[in-house]
Amino acid sequence: MSSKNDILSAIRSHTGKRYNMPDLTLDAIVYEDKIAQFSDALQAAGGKAVLLQPGEDVNDIIRQHFPDAARIASNLPDITCATFNPDDLADPRELNNTDLAIVEGHFGVAENGAVWITRQVKHKALYFISNSLVMLIDREAIVNNMHEAYKRTEGMTYDFGAFISGPSKTADIEQALVFGAHGPVGVLVILK
Amino acid sequence: MSTKHSKAAARFIANRKQEAWHDETLWMVRAKRDKMSHSIPEWERLRELASDIKLYSNSHLDTLLEEFEKNALANGAIVHWAKNAAEHNAIVQEILRQHDAHTLIKSKSMLTEECGMNEFLQEQGYDIIESDLGERILQWMHLHPSHIVMPAIHIKRQEVGEMMERVLGTEKGNSDPTYLTHAVRKNMREKFLTADVAMTGANFAVASTGEIVVCTNEGNADMGTSFPKVHIATFGMEKIVPSREALGVFTRLLARSGTGQPVTSYTSHYCKPKEGGEFHIIIVDNGRSDILARPDHIRMLNCIRCGECMNTCPVYRRTGGYSYTYFIPGPVGINLGMLKDPVKYSDNVSACSLCLSCSNVCPVKIDLGEQIYRWRQDLDRIGKASTEKKIMSGGMKFLMERPKLFNTALRFAPLVNKMPRFMIYNGLNAWGKGRELPTFAKQSFNDMWKNNKIK
Amino acid sequence: MKIGLFIPCYINAVYPEVGVASYKLLKSLGLDVDYPLDQTCCGQPMANAGFEHESLGLAVRMEELFSKYDYVVGPSASCVAFVKENHPGILEKAGHVCMNSKKIYDICEFLHDVVKVKELKAEFPHKVSIHNSCHGVRELHLSSPSERNIPYYSKLRDLLSLVRGIEIFEPKRIDECCGFGGMFAVEEPEVSVCMGQDKVKDHMSTGAEYITGADSSCLMHMEGVIKRDNLPVKTIHIVEILASGL
Repeated sequence: MSSKNDILSAIRSHTGKRYNMPDLTLDAIVYEDKIAQFSDALQAAGGKAVLLQPGEDVNDIIRQHFPDAARIASNLPDITCATFNPDDLADPRELNNTDLAIVEGHFGVAENGAVWITRQVKHKALYFISNSLVMLIDREAIVNNMHEAYKRTEGMTYDFGAFISGPSKTADIEQALVFGAHGPVGVLVILK
Repeated sequence: MSTKHSKAAARFIANRKQEAWHDETLWMVRAKRDKMSHSIPEWERLRELASDIKLYSNSHLDTLLEEFEKNALANGAIVHWAKNAAEHNAIVQEILRQHDAHTLIKSKSMLTEECGMNEFLQEQGYDIIESDLGERILQWMHLHPSHIVMPAIHIKRQEVGEMMERVLGTEKGNSDPTYLTHAVRKNMREKFLTADVAMTGANFAVASTGEIVVCTNEGNADMGTSFPKVHIATFGMEKIVPSREALGVFTRLLARSGTGQPVTSYTSHYCKPKEGGEFHIIIVDNGRSDILARPDHIRMLNCIRCGECMNTCPVYRRTGGYSYTYFIPGPVGINLGMLKDPVKYSDNVSACSLCLSCSNVCPVKIDLGEQIYRWRQDLDRIGKASTEKKIMSGGMKFLMERPKLFNTALRFAPLVNKMPRFMIYNGLNAWGKGRELPTFAKQSFNDMWKNNKIK
Repeated sequence: MKIGLFIPCYINAVYPEVGVASYKLLKSLGLDVDYPLDQTCCGQPMANAGFEHESLGLAVRMEELFSKYDYVVGPSASCVAFVKENHPGILEKAGHVCMNSKKIYDICEFLHDVVKVKELKAEFPHKVSIHNSCHGVRELHLSSPSERNIPYYSKLRDLLSLVRGIEIFEPKRIDECCGFGGMFAVEEPEVSVCMGQDKVKDHMSTGAEYITGADSSCLMHMEGVIKRDNLPVKTIHIVEILASGL
């Protein structure tokens, strides 16, 4: 406790002018076609968005995109192509070597192709450990920008939440872009 | 009048091909950033807001940090306060000891670098594993970052390939970045699954919610925290933002400025410990509260460590991170080094042509170049001014304050034009390195005016 | 309006023709321009090197020299910027109030914003590449800094566009520093030379015959590189182009 008190008293004695919190209203960018902008931004981030057409089944879309996936994890009741329920596993380490994980997101962000997820599965590892990640969101649930996004998170409680924009990537070797640094190599967002 | 920076810079530039690659590659990042910032009509307004929010938060650290602590505790986190690097490292060690942990997997953190934490823990026998690819490469090569966002930017793919042949047994002669990255992915997967404790830094800490936010492209922070029961997050106290609403301003600026992406792949919000686990948060001062007492330099606390001032700096691009003596290079590092210890780090102050590109590129509007100018004014007082420079400056003052002498000097100056070449271009003449001296006019403007030659 | 012509030290010594062109140009526009005698230096070299206090006497002297003029106009963006931005602080420490800072203009800025010239007699049938100097761009706002998200503008381009026969270009890195930086040029010579060489190359890649700008100091630096490496490009101060034929 004494370090805390020392730090706080140093702050108090060194703080000079106290500035006011600015008014955060601003005219932030909005898009005429949020779905198109979201798809473009996601593609630029190395992911892909598809719009579910009337009569199409999500499971068919997933199988088309990942024909080779053998170990498919999902706890969503509608995802019949899943081969196991990740919530049945006691230890997140057992998720290793998962080919595909299918999860639900809350909403997308048009300006950067990100999807906001909060942990809806037993092991947070699922969002990161599988080779590919499918996120399902409602096509109406796309906000323009991060200001709207954070407004939308108000009232949500979570232990872990994340904006995920495309696959895991790195450019640490000579600035050459490589997907799948540690997490998913591919990300597909299905707009329902 | 050379400084440690200028000498190291000369060595870096001696390999002109590597220098040109380094310059061009970082310039590309700057160009990507320009494209991104131009796609946001409200960009300049965002910068203003970001700066104003930081001025508010850094002048209310006492209340905001207490608010953060209260909310973090309510979330179930354990909050520690560290006055300095030693306290910080001791807190981490104690957590490791309590959990009988041996292996710590961590994401990139300039704060742990600042605290010398890895070296400290390694000396105590702990196994510290950096999980960011660039940091991992550096760890294997026993090197430190040369850039705060692109830590291994100075290393060529062939060097990485050769190192990985030894460390990971990759194919001989294969230096393809995708191949090498995936070799590390495979090797690191095992480390993620078996580490005892996970550690991350924090890009932001939100006072109103008590959560910390970590931004990565690799997802290494998230992988790291997904398996061990214990997560330690550490942040310098200026990382506090008042609310999630304010956070929106910064998450829009950070990646656009740093790497030219609209956002990082992962913007992860850590709020509560996992079931049966522990979430430790360390709030670190380590000199930051002293900066509050420096009105001329207080804006340095605005910094969100995007690294764009390095990418835009014509000196950094051409001299590399290792030419600076502080662990953070470039315009931000020159200033932070001077705040840390002006006598020790004054050699970096020469690494600036005062072009002010950094001040204009900075997403939180730090007057980086102007502050470097101010530091130069302090060098003489702290006994760090170059004697030669002082003599040159004093000589100029003497001459310029005496117009008659100035005019006489200019009358004789053309004689310099006629001096033998070896007398002008020798080792003593720094200008003569790569440049011819200007030729003095036969008659100065002052003389021309007096002789009525100008009509 | 009475204009006092401000001629910085190195223009006085090395490029007096730039001073002459400035005077002729202002005169040709029917302006009342005078040269207060025996000018030396604004003090920037000492201040940038870290000896701002050594500039005080020079700042005071400049205040006296220009006290009777409505405007101070000089052909050097960097020196003008120093007077405008730094003299007030330097003088304040000694209890003086800086008057020059409010009335000093770079000559291009003055022609563009105050005189608002719409035509010139000048002719310059050559390809020129504009050198957007750091202090001209980022302190005097002669053009839009590339870092900022604001609409493109260039007061230098506007003025050059009034010249007959001219073809105007700008380098790829439109306002990257040439590496002069005052004492930086000799304290970090290798970096400074490297920056100078890169900058000249960038200007040359536009196909220009001349590099032109509002700062003789940058031009002097690049000229040093050009002469050493025998490069097929020349430097010329913008007022010499604007005053061509006078």
